[in-house]
Amino acid sequence: MTTNRITVVLSQTRSKNPGKRRLEEEIATALLLEPGIEFAVTPNVYDLSPGDTGLLYLNSVKGHLILLSWQYPRAAHWLLDRNGISGKQGVTMLKSLGEEDDEESGGANEEEHRGIGPVEILDRYIFCLDLRAYDDAGVYVEEIKRIAKEVSVKLVPLAGLRIDSDQSDSKPDLLQRFSAPEKKGAGPIVLGESMVNRWYPVIDYSRCTNCLECIDFCLFGVYGIDHKERILVENQDNCKRGCPACSRVCPENAIIFPEHKTPAIAGAPGEGPGGLKIDLSKLFGAPSAIELAAMERDVELVKDGRAAVGLSVGIPRRQTGKAATEKDDLDKLMDELDSLDL
Amino acid sequence: MSDHFIFLMGKYEARVPKDRLYAPNHMWFRAEGGAYRVGFTAFAVRLLQDVYFLDWTVESGDVVAAKQEIGEVESSKAVSTLHAPFDGTLLRFNRELMKDPTAINVDNYGAGWLFDFDPKNALLLTAEDYILRLEGTWDETQRQIKGQMND
Repeated sequence: MTTNRITVVLSQTRSKNPGKRRLEEEIATALLLEPGIEFAVTPNVYDLSPGDTGLLYLNSVKGHLILLSWQYPRAAHWLLDRNGISGKQGVTMLKSLGEEDDEESGGANEEEHRGIGPVEILDRYIFCLDLRAYDDAGVYVEEIKRIAKEVSVKLVPLAGLRIDSDQSDSKPDLLQRFSAPEKKGAGPIVLGESMVNRWYPVIDYSRCTNCLECIDFCLFGVYGIDHKERILVENQDNCKRGCPACSRVCPENAIIFPEHKTPAIAGAPGEGPGGLKIDLSKLFGAPSAIELAAMERDVELVKDGRAAVGLSVGIPRRQTGKAATEKDDLDKLMDELDSLDL
Repeated sequence: MSDHFIFLMGKYEARVPKDRLYAPNHMWFRAEGGAYRVGFTAFAVRLLQDVYFLDWTVESGDVVAAKQEIGEVESSKAVSTLHAPFDGTLLRFNRELMKDPTAINVDNYGAGWLFDFDPKNALLLTAEDYILRLEGTWDETQRQIKGQMND
């Protein structure tokens, strides 16, 4: 095995959508034949249980890694991190689902987030590509080749890494199956097994400030504290399927539910629901984020046979410093009013 | 004696008819046979501008809670989820609107009605009180909208 190989893992879609399956097959076919690329397939990484073969394989990869998945890159990155698959966020030229052309992709737009950061990360890059963004397998294959070339040029940082073949705790037989080209037409072997579609939060530690509001709010014991007194998603399977309430309560939008239908909750880039249209929901009677979180939590409590608690338990007392800054701009706003199409 | 009040939104004159009641979320309530017919006020329609999509996520006959999401609306300039103004029962929807929501822009107080509703604990405002409320919150509303456009 050469030290310049980059590992590419394709995390499969949960869905039976033939278009998605076809995209995966086309990418796999192209990459299996590509020299310098070590290629593997797993079921949806989000659904893998701790100790699963797919996760063990990912953990054994110590060099640069590209993950192709059906999630936002931010969700994929922190999901991997939670499973001990850590690294620096590689910047890709590709967009994620719904991203506009003028937005930056990858880790570059993390701005001034003052999160507690990951615990410790391997000195290598992880590139997360969103398979929902393009229909054309060629786009992904070209980007992978571009990244592979880019990282192979930077031999100096790589030199300090222990690469796959040096890992004494890797699974040599699995790696063997993957370094040898597969029999034509059979497709790659899928590493790992997903029995059920799981549902649990993923913490983005680049945003998380360890305020611990989430552990106060969740009444189902999903969150815990690790030995370094950092917040942790401890009991993933305590999480009530479909419930995103805690993500609304987090002041830093650091909680991600990768499979939620709302982009902001699923880890989309940016700070929140953006867009070119005005959102009138608050004016038209929508609950605030906290009220909505409490309503969703009550639904889950009642389903569990417990009593609804409304806003009486575990609700963050948030400072609303926003009002102060806007007062300074008020005169400017009033002057600008007539120029608005109101 | 006029049958409506006017609320000025910049230069636009939003009509507030005196023949019905109002909810804080900018919907009008007109008593009809034991329940209420509900629609958007001129204030709401002025902010939405041309409505081109309307969708309900609950069914006729459903019992809903205050602030529960019941649907969504999208227009040329805005999007919004729609929420039950009070606890109550959603009796029926205006089916004509589902085919063509432009009646909301053309006749929001008449043919553009949204749904019939039987509220449990409704705190409805008279036209005068609704105007007072509009006046009291207009600055904040503009700030919110302008704030969004700056993001």
